[in-house]
Amino acid sequence: MTRVLIADDASFMRQMIRDIIEPEGFEVVGEASDGVEVVEKFKELHPDLVMMDIVMPKRSGIDAVKGIVAMDPTARVVMCSALGQETLVMEAIQAGAKDFIVKPFKPESVVVTLRKALEKES
Amino acid sequence: MDLAKYRNLFLEEATEHLAEMSRALLTLEKNPDDGEAIDLVFRMAHSIKGMAGSLGYDSITELAHKLEDRMDGYRAAGRVEVVEGIAILFRGLDGLERMIEVVRDSGEPPPPDPELASALSPDAASAAAPEASEEPKKKFPRRSLTPRGHGA
Repeated sequence: MTRVLIADDASFMRQMIRDIIEPEGFEVVGEASDGVEVVEKFKELHPDLVMMDIVMPKRSGIDAVKGIVAMDPTARVVMCSALGQETLVMEAIQAGAKDFIVKPFKPESVVVTLRKALEKES
Repeated sequence: MDLAKYRNLFLEEATEHLAEMSRALLTLEKNPDDGEAIDLVFRMAHSIKGMAGSLGYDSITELAHKLEDRMDGYRAAGRVEVVEGIAILFRGLDGLERMIEVVRDSGEPPPPDPELASALSPDAASAAAPEASEEPKKKFPRRSLTPRGHGA
């Protein structure tokens, strides 16, 4: 089972992601509500995949991707962005994120994107 | 999707965000260049926009989006306009509070407020900016997504 760490400062969004992916065979092993916590939990939990919001307190999602990739260059991170954040998404991809999904989420696209990210070479 | 469950989560979290936003606006009223308060209002508006969008509350999404865009402009400038800026931000906060009350009371999406959305627009901000001729104070990078001292 694919182990997932979810990072979003809104518990609403974390719950929504959990409800979308758990029935599809993903296991949510942890949640983080800011950019510092997600890096710490990544180090502790070694998830197969991280779903990362861009706008978060303490440390941005982009900065957290850099921290995670510096720790583990094979890490798989999928960004959760909003419409209008295209430039930031590109910045996150350059920082090492594998792919992105756009809010509001379409459940089918979330699952397809996560599976694609898992298939990509590290 | 269990709409009632998400509606309750939304009401709970949005109410907390609006309270935080209110405290930050009071701070900005005294210190219009408080970067952490500017950033907090930006993030709260962004978060409300995301949640409302997921539930199809288009009027809340639009208002929160306008507020977020306006705060992004203030992040770039490093300060909020003392009179007009603070006043319109409080109006935006009041508008969001009213809309969320409609959801709480009726469970239905609230009606739009195009006049307020237009007043919150960043275009309206630049037209009203009293310091337009001054060099903007770049206290944070334009796309910094975290408070000062923590960003990328």
